[in-house]
Amino acid sequence: MRRILNYFLMRVLLTIPMLFVLLTLVFVVLRVMPGDPVSAMLGGHAPEYVIQQKKAELGLNKPIFEQYIDYLGQLAHGDLGNSMIFVERVSHPISQRLPATIELTLFGLLVTLGIGIPLGVRASRKRRTAQDFGIRFYANIVYCIPVFWMGLILQMVFGVFLPLFPIAGRVGARIISSDFDRTGFYVLDTLMKGNFTALGDVLMHLVLPAFTLGITLSGVFVRLTRANMLDVLKSDYVLASRARGVPERKVVYKHALKNALIPIVTMMGLQFSALLAGAILTETTFSWPGMGRLLLERIYLRDYPTVQGVIIVYALFVSLVSLIVDIVYAIIDPRVQL
Amino acid sequence: MKRRFTLIALAFALLCAGTAWAQSTLVYGTTDKVTVMDPASAYDQHTWDIFQNIDRGLLAYEPGTDKVVPALAERYTINKTGDEYTFYLRHGLKFTDGTPFTAETVKWSIDRVMALKGDPSWLVTQFVKEVQVVDDYTVKFILTGPTPYFPALVAGNPPYFPLSPNVYPADHFITNPSELKGGALVGLGPYKCTSFKRDEEVVLDANPDYYGPQPHIKRIIIRYFDDATTMRLALERGEIDLAYKTLNPSDISDLAKNPKLNTFKIASPFIRFLCFECSQSVFKNKELRQAIGALVNRPEITQKVFLGQAQPLYSMVPMGMAYHENNFKAALGDGNVKLAEKILSKLGYTKDNPFAFDLWYTPTHYGDTEVNLGDVLKQEIERCPLVKVTVKSAEWATYKQQFNNKQMPAYLLGWYPDYVDPDDYTAAFAQTDASAGEGIYFSSKKWDDLFTKEQHSLSPKVRGEIFKEIQAMWPDESLTVPIFQGNLYIFTRKNVEGVKIGPPLIFNYDQLRFVK
Amino acid sequence: MNATSSGPEIRAAKYSPAGIAAGLIRRFSAAAKRYRIEWWILVAGAVVIAAIVSMTLFPHLFTHFRPEDMNAGPQMKPPSAAHLMGTDNLGRDVWSRIVYGARTILGVAIAASLASALIGIPLGLVSGFSGGLGDKALSLVMDSIYSFPGLILAIAFAAMLGPGVINITVAVAVVYVPTYFRLVRGQTLSIKQELYVEAAHAIGARRPTVLAKYIFPNVIATVVVVFSLNIADAIMTEAALSYIGLGLPAGMPDWGMDLSMGKKFLPSGVWWMITYPGLMIMLLALGFTMLGEGLSEILNPRLQEY
Repeated sequence: MRRILNYFLMRVLLTIPMLFVLLTLVFVVLRVMPGDPVSAMLGGHAPEYVIQQKKAELGLNKPIFEQYIDYLGQLAHGDLGNSMIFVERVSHPISQRLPATIELTLFGLLVTLGIGIPLGVRASRKRRTAQDFGIRFYANIVYCIPVFWMGLILQMVFGVFLPLFPIAGRVGARIISSDFDRTGFYVLDTLMKGNFTALGDVLMHLVLPAFTLGITLSGVFVRLTRANMLDVLKSDYVLASRARGVPERKVVYKHALKNALIPIVTMMGLQFSALLAGAILTETTFSWPGMGRLLLERIYLRDYPTVQGVIIVYALFVSLVSLIVDIVYAIIDPRVQL
Repeated sequence: MKRRFTLIALAFALLCAGTAWAQSTLVYGTTDKVTVMDPASAYDQHTWDIFQNIDRGLLAYEPGTDKVVPALAERYTINKTGDEYTFYLRHGLKFTDGTPFTAETVKWSIDRVMALKGDPSWLVTQFVKEVQVVDDYTVKFILTGPTPYFPALVAGNPPYFPLSPNVYPADHFITNPSELKGGALVGLGPYKCTSFKRDEEVVLDANPDYYGPQPHIKRIIIRYFDDATTMRLALERGEIDLAYKTLNPSDISDLAKNPKLNTFKIASPFIRFLCFECSQSVFKNKELRQAIGALVNRPEITQKVFLGQAQPLYSMVPMGMAYHENNFKAALGDGNVKLAEKILSKLGYTKDNPFAFDLWYTPTHYGDTEVNLGDVLKQEIERCPLVKVTVKSAEWATYKQQFNNKQMPAYLLGWYPDYVDPDDYTAAFAQTDASAGEGIYFSSKKWDDLFTKEQHSLSPKVRGEIFKEIQAMWPDESLTVPIFQGNLYIFTRKNVEGVKIGPPLIFNYDQLRFVK
Repeated sequence: MNATSSGPEIRAAKYSPAGIAAGLIRRFSAAAKRYRIEWWILVAGAVVIAAIVSMTLFPHLFTHFRPEDMNAGPQMKPPSAAHLMGTDNLGRDVWSRIVYGARTILGVAIAASLASALIGIPLGLVSGFSGGLGDKALSLVMDSIYSFPGLILAIAFAAMLGPGVINITVAVAVVYVPTYFRLVRGQTLSIKQELYVEAAHAIGARRPTVLAKYIFPNVIATVVVVFSLNIADAIMTEAALSYIGLGLPAGMPDWGMDLSMGKKFLPSGVWWMITYPGLMIMLLALGFTMLGEGLSEILNPRLQEY
């Protein structure tokens, strides 16, 4: 147990510099880029003293390095600042939108794994047959399909021509989300309240966006699963199991797959960034009220503090996930030295 | 397989539940956005819509007409010279927070608007000199001069609506209801706002303290849609009961043919036009404004972008309103490349040294068609080889800031009536103070004098002559160039009735009801 | 690259351009015989790319309509003999917008990939070769950027820089610098250990010489593959940026923007405004992917996924 804790601490310590780099990058991007947000806000023809006054208010007239220190200090206290356009704390819209994105991303991940892994296993078992080539072709092509195009096509087919699923939003227009909204994770909230009609509605709204996200990223998992399975199926203990007369099914699914899955855990962590990126496009297409859309809305409104806050939260999230993945990997892979 | 079945069963159950529910709740879809929930600073159609249903003015319009009737005031008297209005208020009314409605609250609210000087404050400060409390239920408005359409100003405009001093701060604007004392909006109208989630939903429930008849529909949920396409589909699938602003022209044509929906076409004085910043930008020179104005080809725009659902407009005063003329047609024409070339070459521009400027539009405030409008205008203007246009866009909040800060030399704007009078379509852009408020910064003593004269004249003949003169002078100055006049469309499910929207474009939700 | 592979020998001292070319040709023809399917994949990819490149260079061969001409045809007409891909809502010919839009997306993607390669590769070489604290620090920075969702970074840069072809190129380029850096650094680290590098040091070659003559040429084959795959990625990123509306100023035909415009008319039955731009994006990205994958199988059959 102590070994795991030590590993955990070490990984956390390694995460900090990475987070640091990302936060600095965000700061640089938003301060040093051309286009003075205050002038834009007040107008190039506003009298100079008014511009200076506003800058002082926002702390933008101090030397860059001092601003940087202030910025880090603020973040250390968990203070993301105030919006420049609306009278609200930056954390307010973020806390409302973050659960939406997490829910979408999780279900997208479920779909990806649900499609990718079985297909990969199938391809590895039917190596170099038509099925194998077909599946590999699918895996290669699917990554090149723009997420938003996939979303539009799914909307068109399953939302318009065969109106089976809703094509926008998290809940139906007739449902008032504030009735059950506690955590922001609607699947959880509706379950907790026992409101099964709302639960059904929420799940239906998740279908098309989750599949849009999931299908486009499934290719990577197909290839990875296939490659891992091919490796594992050549190994000695598989040969031994077969020799002992264990049915093929059991060999593949019980013994081989479990070991082949270990690298997939790592891949999940790496693909998480791709999921987040794809989620932004999915949110735009399906009018999903998540972080991606918040980012874009606030960019259009030139609300730089909120944009900065959103990017910081993304960075935190990515670091957190990669940390968790590493630790889980360390726990489940018996080969990793703790 | 089993899971899918359960899902479908759940969905079906939801559908049934939803249909049963529809009888007492109406879901109203819109692509508009709420700006700020402060009547002293909000100046857009949709936010005003909400105020017009949760608040009331001393007077009101009879639903669906432009006839002014008593509301919070039981009656009013005008003095002989027409510049003093005395309102006798209803007794015993209370705001939804319990504050009694008295003449004091009326004065407090007007004083607040005048002090905070928000965008719509000119609707008060231009006409009202001061407000006097005569007694608890009598209040006197002393005007800057006799104003024939003052009752219309009081009836339709939220800056005139009384607010509760215990809820709104006296010294600054608020944006969200959460900033109010008590955290909720408070008013005297037929509805009260019980939930506010910006860009998601606004829930209005019937106000039991309303002095008038209770609304038929007890609960209205306003659903905010990101884009018109989703809203159109939601309406077709029965997810919403009513859709208003702003559907794409292609959606409008399709929905109008749908037998399961009601179509309400409102011939409205909703106009769209091109504005120029007249004090500091390149367009200081009125000849340049004329040149660009001449290049606009209205029939092409109404056909290409709006599929014929809008009408070319040749004056800032909309068609159907009193004193409307068509001066731009004769003066500048449509797609008049020859005239533009003449003006521009005289000013020294050539093909190698063209007149270059930025044309701005706002991509969602007026509907999804703005991008196309920008594209088409660029094509039309560049038919004259001596001009080069760069099309740029900014979201409405930024857009407003930019035109207030003189950052956009040419930009597209729209206008809904504040009050049904040609003054609202002319003075609002050309009278010095108002013009600055819209980013145009046009100022001419001659024009100001004409406006002051017609604003204080009670003679239709005198006013008619003045408006004729102003419209005749407009193409020469071309501070704004009218482009088209649009219709407003409301679509509802077959079981919704009571959509009554008159010329002032006020939408009374309390008139809506379901029919079997 | 393995110095002990069973293919043609790599001789450390002979890295002339002619030698490389000869080596590649030898490999290609061998590959054609051995890797039938992968070879045809590469060919297919190359054909697609060639077709689209010729669209950018000679648009008038493909269409006589101008992409901004609103009177090319009636509004919203489905594909027909006169308009192969139909017309859009303003009456513009969709096929002409595809043809002229190719240069935007391809130009940005290639320029961005080149830019990130030109920055990432030298940095990777030097950093991997030199090692030490600088290397550790730079690796940390690059790894951090690499792990962050690229699209978000591109969005942030595109939003700050504003619309414009150069700005979008920069925004996309920033995302891929770590890709080249990590790849090249990794390769450099492993090649650094090889015997012939040690031999070069022993005979007195100076460090820049070692880098240029020994390490770089061995790295380059992998880089070419990554370059092709990278362009595919950059294409998707650029399409995403313009779909969101952060791309180019209005007026320039662009596949992503046309897609976002076209979706408004989908419920009215106008399917051709989104189908074709989307197909083209997919085709172009697929072309570069196939080229890259085919190349990778041929140049080094044991190249791992990175």
